[in-house]
Amino acid sequence: MAQDVLNALTLGSLYLLFALGMSLAWGTVGVLNFAHGSIFMFAAFGAHLAVQVVPLSMPSMIALGVGIGAVLSLAVQVLAFEPIQRRARDPHQAQLQIIVAGIGIAGIPLAIAQYVTRSVPFGYSAGTFQVTVHEFGAVRVTDVQVVILVAALGLAALIAWWLRAARPGLALRAIGVEPEVAAMMGVDRRRLALLTMAVAGGLAGLAGVLLTYHLGSIAPETGDAFLLKAFAAIILGGVGSIAGVAIGAMVLAGVETLVLVTTSGTWAPAIAFGVLFLMLLVRPRGLLGRQEVRRT
Amino acid sequence: MPDAHWDRRRLLRATGALVLAAGLAACTAPGGDTGTTPSGAGGGGQGLPPTITILSIRALTGPVSFAGINAQKGIDLAVEQVAKDGLLGGSTLEIETKDVGASTQEAASAASQAIADPSYAAILGPEASAQAAAVSPIAQSSGMPVAYVQAGSGGVLVGDYTFRVTPPAQSYFGVVGDHLSREDVRTASVLFNSGNPTLAELGQTVVPQLGAQRGFRIVGSAGVEVTAQDFTTAASQIAGQAPDVAFLMLTGPQSPVAITQLRQAGFTGEIVGMSAMGAGNLAPAGAQAAGAVWPSNFTATQSAPSSQEFVRAYQAKYGGEAPNNYAAEAYDAVWFLARGIAKANSTDRAAVQHGLDAVAKDGFAGAQGELTFDGHDARVPGVLVRWDGAAEAVLADGTS
Repeated sequence: MAQDVLNALTLGSLYLLFALGMSLAWGTVGVLNFAHGSIFMFAAFGAHLAVQVVPLSMPSMIALGVGIGAVLSLAVQVLAFEPIQRRARDPHQAQLQIIVAGIGIAGIPLAIAQYVTRSVPFGYSAGTFQVTVHEFGAVRVTDVQVVILVAALGLAALIAWWLRAARPGLALRAIGVEPEVAAMMGVDRRRLALLTMAVAGGLAGLAGVLLTYHLGSIAPETGDAFLLKAFAAIILGGVGSIAGVAIGAMVLAGVETLVLVTTSGTWAPAIAFGVLFLMLLVRPRGLLGRQEVRRT
Repeated sequence: MPDAHWDRRRLLRATGALVLAAGLAACTAPGGDTGTTPSGAGGGGQGLPPTITILSIRALTGPVSFAGINAQKGIDLAVEQVAKDGLLGGSTLEIETKDVGASTQEAASAASQAIADPSYAAILGPEASAQAAAVSPIAQSSGMPVAYVQAGSGGVLVGDYTFRVTPPAQSYFGVVGDHLSREDVRTASVLFNSGNPTLAELGQTVVPQLGAQRGFRIVGSAGVEVTAQDFTTAASQIAGQAPDVAFLMLTGPQSPVAITQLRQAGFTGEIVGMSAMGAGNLAPAGAQAAGAVWPSNFTATQSAPSSQEFVRAYQAKYGGEAPNNYAAEAYDAVWFLARGIAKANSTDRAAVQHGLDAVAKDGFAGAQGELTFDGHDARVPGVLVRWDGAAEAVLADGTS
């Protein structure tokens, strides 16, 4: 039982790490980035290429993954999303075009990674870090699981605090609520949008590297599967609410784990997404949509 | 105060976009028996033309490119050897490759174009089952001979014109039975990919049947979704059941993850997988996967003379690289088509079909060993392969 709870928390933390950046960009600067899964995978892939050349430690790999993710996300924002936002007639049109552009852009890093790896899984076995398993009675936990739990919950709390208490965070929330008024009040919308996209990409890179350590290896297509789960967690928790995303990720992982433990497992995705569907029927804004409105 | 309608519209739009993207990705065409076959295109019985053209529908890009790229190497080698061998007299065998990635629609479209063009004598079919199941009814109803590699699901062999040169996993899975008996296996747990028809059938039907034959009991059986990434919970459950053997009927990318997490969960028993564990897929798991075994239709170290002849030729052409099962199957498929055309002494499609039928009846020695056919479906003795932590080695050789 305790092992199942730990497994569910780990899975939820992985969903959360992935979804945090996506939720942050969507809930503040209005960018629903469907290339997030590809950035996540390509950051992990970039770190894999580096570790084939130089045996790197886990902190170095994380730093590399975060850096690659941030740069890629910034590039997508500057080269694709900003021009769309400038040219679109209204925010509604811009958002739809950004979604389509994100889906299209996602194919580029995916194709590169598939070409290089031939879709064979890749990992970090050439690095200096080796996963260690610790036993506490009947519970087994790896050091990577501990890092994932701490990173996911710690970063969620930090971002939630930053958006509520720090000056740039408040400015970002102001952009999310009323961009024109925020601009008139002196908020530099472009700078904050770039910062947000860099943070979102960095979080994707962090999630990619930690997931690769946790699983031992990932495939170029791994980001696609996580994109769907992260999207579900965001909708379930409430768009733009960091606490909501955290709860959504944990609920989704909890339901999946429960189904796996109590049934033959085949129905796990159907039941998990059935819960999501029911939630949308009852609370269209998600679990925390009402209390925290749309913006954090 | 934000606008609730705007909020909802955004949500609906985003959800719609995701559903559309997922729908496009998952779109497949149904297979099915199409009944009677018309005669093929082209002139019959007048000998072979200077150039015999076959269309190869491959996935050289996309998620199954690992199979397509390796298959292409096997095809290129076979074409060279057919030319050297003189099997087709003065005619040249030309294989035109069409990369369709993971797209079922593109595969079906490529097949339709080849059918409409009388210069194509046959098709070397795509590896993915969904693509093959879309191509088969079109080829069958139009009288176009197709030889498939991989494509293990139902709905692929739908009539006289469809052949498969990769034997179904179920047909050689029994090779693992002797090994399990030697290891005195009494209990087993099964983890299978419920979204893959072949793997689901192995997990739900073939392994329990093997258990009944070999006297081991299934103590746990669980399915995972087709794109499952994390097996922590399933691994903990299997470790808790503490069986003598864990059967992992999973895809190539899933296999090293499941093995790593099983070992981390404390499972110390035997691990049996499927041929998806080959082709370098266990390399990321390294030493943690040492000892894992899987039945396969081909491995580069199997002893059959025709297999070793293929391995030597392949290594000579590709700088010492060892071939995998995808290359071996495609190599055999080209030779199968070439033999069928030679037997027909014509590129008339109906004549080629009869020629392929005759080759299938006789069987032949190929890269996979002695190939026989059950109807239009290939059979080989199979080998049991073991991962030693760094490389594959033959544990039991049915081809010797």
